[in-house]
Amino acid sequence: MTESILLDELKTKVIEVLNLMDVNSGDIDPDEQLVGGRLGIDSIDVLELVIMMEKDYHLTIDNKELGAQVFGSLRTMAQFIRENSKESAN
Amino acid sequence: MTPAQVCIAGTGIVCALGRDTDQIMAALADGQSGLRLLTRFEVPHIPALPAGQSPGLVHDPDLPATHQLARMAADQAMSDCALAPDAIVLGVTTGGMATTEDLLKRRCSSPEAYRHHGIGTVAEDLARRYHCKGPVFTVSTACSSGSGAIALAMAMIRNGRYQRVLAGGVDSLCRLTYYGFKSLQLIDPQGCRPLDKDRRGMSVAEGAGMLLLEAQTRKTDAIQVLGAGLSCDAHHPAQPHPEGLGALVAMQAALRDAGLSIKDIDYINLHGTGTTDNDRSETMAINSLFKHSPPPLSSIKGAIGHCLAASGAIEAVVAACCIEHGMIPANTGCQVPDPLLNITPVDRPVRRALQSVLSNSFGFGGNNAAVIIGRASHHGSLVPPPAGSLHPPPLTLLGWSALTGAGFTDQTIENMSNGIGCHGRLETDRICQGLPPGVVRRLKRLSQMALSLFVQTQTSDAGLKPTSVFFGTGWGSLSETNDFLKGLFDSDEKFSSPTDFIGSVHNAPAGQIALMARATGANLTLSGGNYSFEQALFCAQLMTADDEPVVVLGADETHDMLSPLFDPSATAEPVISDGGGALILKRTHDPVGPRVALKYFATDFEKLPDSREMIEQLGGAEAIRSTYGLILAGLPAAQKDGCRQQLERFVKLSGYAGELIDYRNLTGEFATSAAVATVFAASLVKNNQIPMQTNQAPVIDPHAKSVLILGLGSALTAIEVCPA
Repeated sequence: MTESILLDELKTKVIEVLNLMDVNSGDIDPDEQLVGGRLGIDSIDVLELVIMMEKDYHLTIDNKELGAQVFGSLRTMAQFIRENSKESAN
Repeated sequence: MTPAQVCIAGTGIVCALGRDTDQIMAALADGQSGLRLLTRFEVPHIPALPAGQSPGLVHDPDLPATHQLARMAADQAMSDCALAPDAIVLGVTTGGMATTEDLLKRRCSSPEAYRHHGIGTVAEDLARRYHCKGPVFTVSTACSSGSGAIALAMAMIRNGRYQRVLAGGVDSLCRLTYYGFKSLQLIDPQGCRPLDKDRRGMSVAEGAGMLLLEAQTRKTDAIQVLGAGLSCDAHHPAQPHPEGLGALVAMQAALRDAGLSIKDIDYINLHGTGTTDNDRSETMAINSLFKHSPPPLSSIKGAIGHCLAASGAIEAVVAACCIEHGMIPANTGCQVPDPLLNITPVDRPVRRALQSVLSNSFGFGGNNAAVIIGRASHHGSLVPPPAGSLHPPPLTLLGWSALTGAGFTDQTIENMSNGIGCHGRLETDRICQGLPPGVVRRLKRLSQMALSLFVQTQTSDAGLKPTSVFFGTGWGSLSETNDFLKGLFDSDEKFSSPTDFIGSVHNAPAGQIALMARATGANLTLSGGNYSFEQALFCAQLMTADDEPVVVLGADETHDMLSPLFDPSATAEPVISDGGGALILKRTHDPVGPRVALKYFATDFEKLPDSREMIEQLGGAEAIRSTYGLILAGLPAAQKDGCRQQLERFVKLSGYAGELIDYRNLTGEFATSAAVATVFAASLVKNNQIPMQTNQAPVIDPHAKSVLILGLGSALTAIEVCPA
């Protein structure tokens, strides 16, 4: 999967999981700050994203430091998935 | 009138350290911990986490663990009392949830099997056990429920009408709370270590704490509840205020209420859950209040775990026992105190004479409570607590709103005025109209309804912004509860949603209102089937200070899956309905609008209560005939026949011959439909639309007529709405 496809997939998932009703996937910049930023995402939302990562990508994020790194932006999420996912090779 | 002192006449506890007070106090004096790896239910996939499991529970499909724990502790508290308590006030968050989870897992569809689900059923069970016929209330403010229940019981005794109140808190372990706190990453895999530099969270636990509180007007050396303080962070649905502002306000309010100063406190029993955020904000609040020089302090949650709704009540009993025995328990579990907290907890049990103990409890929704237990002799020379009058001025209605299947306030009132039903459930889009999308995105139906009701009370008029919130709900947030458990079971207990967990607590909607209104005063949620709204109104009536606007609301969602299992009335009609009503009230001597007063509240869970006493309380038959131009009667479908007999007897004994409306025929069947009936009554009274009695000469000006809202069934209640 190319990075742009993965980023689009993550945009859709984040909007769906966090029920960001007034946000379109085109509105999210892959590099914009996720937590505490414009989208109003907080630490509880991060925990929902942790579950999404485990459910959909089989990746465990079980400490705050790693979480802060992974959920910095959509791009850092995508990077983490590409670097750690077994089936990421393309 | 000097307010009665609130003496502790009996106590009982059960928790991971034992099944009676002596056993538990001995274990605490010995510095033991009762935390063990969870065995109560199977946890697939992952190693079990440490938890506080109570001894003495048996598997009984007819009596959930929470009810068993409540009986164990209450039997101890009532052991020297042959009389029935005048009232029962319990803090509960899980009710029959552990049993419900087992039933849902095996897809049981028999409503009879779920009859103990409601959180109010625990107090009702105790009411049957001790033949209590007075108010039976359930406070549900998450982890501060037990302390909130004590604060309410205290206000009832000081008010003068209730001499003997059984108060406490209880919760049993269940998957909802275990996996819920786990999903929030708030469980310490090594067991709870309050204030430790490496702390990682709590240990979920179960237990019960009960206190038999008695009014005492003579000078006494008995150990008492000296004061209580409630507040709301109005900061976040689940996280404490980062600087502990709400905690500080609750402790200050408790001191003021007790007439004590900080130097009078000999020991602080911390909320001390062991989570990073709680321990930081609580110690900041304490350092601020006690000027960095607090008395000895400790949390017992490293020894017994966090018993949620029971914790405040257990800790109040422990505080009373510590005063009696002259002992301070250790802050078990903490190895190296966190230097960032600037506070040193008691590291081993200490023998010391104590006069007054401050005990903290904080919950989701930012619902904070602090209570002070102590000997009266200690504060004899200080200012007495404010007296609750037996007949405080009624609350004036400044604003109101309703939500039903018909629509919002205007449509609901128009329908009801014309005898047209408001059945059905309003669409989500319409409920959420005008609510901020950033807020609504994490809310499900009940919180959306409550927030929408609140927003609609906020007309352009100034002075409607409430400082306190009193919320009644029969069944709480069913959508979140269902979605959390469904997600959990569908994933074979691998995944559960933290957002749904936070939203699943009964007090989530009231917390949302506080957030929006920035209401930092008392924030209480009450629950008990069809008489939940009346409980909230009762509380507001007792706890509202002069000239302080408050919001009182009742709301329920009817859920396709769960309501047919839980509420036997909800599915009695072909069209299922839900909704609610909200009132902005102010206690004022100069009424500018209609006034509302809860005039009567009695229960009987063995047979339906008789209306004779209620008629006396309302001033007698003649007063009823001349005062009320309309009676709105609530006859829940599941008890319809019995309720009809109750109503017929009321009509016969009072001779009332005026207009009488069975309001559930108009609102539809849901637990807090009385809130909609009260809004309807307010509108009629304000607009002088009370129907005249047609079969007798009017004895008073019809425009001065009042409306009586009767709640029938196991609880017999009377709300009066009268002209200004």
